[in-house]
Amino acid sequence: MDKIILDARDLEHPKPLEEATKILRELDMDSYLYMLHRKNPIPLLDLASEHGFVSISQEIDNSWHIIISKNPDINLQELLDV
Amino acid sequence: MFNQNGLSLDQAPPFGVVLRFFLSGGVFGVLAGVFVMLFGVDIFDASTPQALIVTHSFTLGVMLSFMFGALFQMLPVIAGVKLLEPVKKANLLQYPFVVGTISLLVGFYDSYNHTLLGIALVLLGGSISYIVYVMLSNLLRVQNHSASSKGMSVSLIALGMLLLMALLMVLEIMGIGSIDYSVLKSTHFSFGLFGWIALLIISISFQVIEMFYVTPPYPLLVSKYLPFMIFGVIVLSFVLQVVGVSVWGFVSFVLALILIAYAGLTLYRLTQRKRPIADATVWFWRVGMSSLIVSMLFFMLTHFITSTTIDALSYITFASFALSIVFAMFYKIVPFLTWFHLNSQGYLMAPMMHEVIHPKSAMKHLYIHIASLVTFVLSVGFGGFIYLAGVLLVVSFGLLTYQVIHAHKLYIHTQQTQERFDMGMGG
Repeated sequence: MDKIILDARDLEHPKPLEEATKILRELDMDSYLYMLHRKNPIPLLDLASEHGFVSISQEIDNSWHIIISKNPDINLQELLDV
Repeated sequence: MFNQNGLSLDQAPPFGVVLRFFLSGGVFGVLAGVFVMLFGVDIFDASTPQALIVTHSFTLGVMLSFMFGALFQMLPVIAGVKLLEPVKKANLLQYPFVVGTISLLVGFYDSYNHTLLGIALVLLGGSISYIVYVMLSNLLRVQNHSASSKGMSVSLIALGMLLLMALLMVLEIMGIGSIDYSVLKSTHFSFGLFGWIALLIISISFQVIEMFYVTPPYPLLVSKYLPFMIFGVIVLSFVLQVVGVSVWGFVSFVLALILIAYAGLTLYRLTQRKRPIADATVWFWRVGMSSLIVSMLFFMLTHFITSTTIDALSYITFASFALSIVFAMFYKIVPFLTWFHLNSQGYLMAPMMHEVIHPKSAMKHLYIHIASLVTFVLSVGFGGFIYLAGVLLVVSFGLLTYQVIHAHKLYIHTQQTQERFDMGMGG
């Protein structure tokens, strides 16, 4: 699986959302978005879910780690950098 | 709109609900500019109907419209409150609110026409108290309050008190009431400017300054206690005045100091952005907070020097504070909502946020807003400038109204011309 990293922790609104949706448009079944954010980006997760993506978000060391994939068969928990 | 509570699709109010409040706010702003041109420097004499008309065009027509629009948008987001049937609620609020506001303004102009003031009393009293009840009752049911949601609750209570004072004042004017008019007036003033407008802006800032501009959060002590402190001081002052102890001078001095400290802290926070980018909305916040500091300094000065010039400068800079923050929020909310609603509907090639309202366009509005502020200040000393200030106000709100219409047209155009796409199931 190809990991596409987006570190949005220092990006001001609305850059994180715009950058993430750009990546989502390009995702295929063999790639996933790994996003780091200072908050849990509910609008993005909601958009992703609305369009059939699978996602997970977890707070680790004061940063939110968000994984979004088009492939429903992968175990997102295993992909978390913990 | 973008915190842990988040804006989820099933909670987001329809796009049109927020936009139409912003539209009516913009139109009332244009109207206020026309009134300024018509009335000239008479608006600086607080005892004239002209001053009342312009003041209420701003506070009711502009500020309340924008604040209601923002509340419909932000209650689900900041507080996790889901307002059921938002379109119906918006209708029940907005139509009587607009007619009531116009009735009040015409009533002031027509020598305090009792019939028109009575109509305004019923329509504004009914619609505003209805929405305060709806929003407050939903907010009180929230389990996990943030500093912002608590502050919003308190500011809505202040709006209720402000409304009550206004109703009592109208009854006094109509010869029905029996409470000291000056007590009602000063309480109406303090609940309106400090309890409603300032408190709501402060509460929202706790969330959005950190969120939008990647700054450290406000100190916990500030975000937790400041709204209650402001509200408590106003209520205490009202109670003491009712029992005959006049403490308004002291209280307003304390409130002014609190607001100066808050504005200074916000300006400092804006210097702590991690990766600053040029953005008109930051400058709107800076102009707003600087205006608040200057306004409160003039306000404190009025306790030592009796001067209509200082009074006028205090009002002008306070209006600049409130309007600057309204504009800052407007330029964040409208592009985001347009983009978000279109994307959530599957229009993935929808215009990006900077294409809905171009940052340069927001920057132009900032310059117009600053020019308007400067000409208003100049007009206090040199009366002729008031007409230019009125023109600039019309241009400022005309531009804002255009942005609302443009965003809506873009939204409809995208829906009509683009193919809906499902990222997960499609290509």
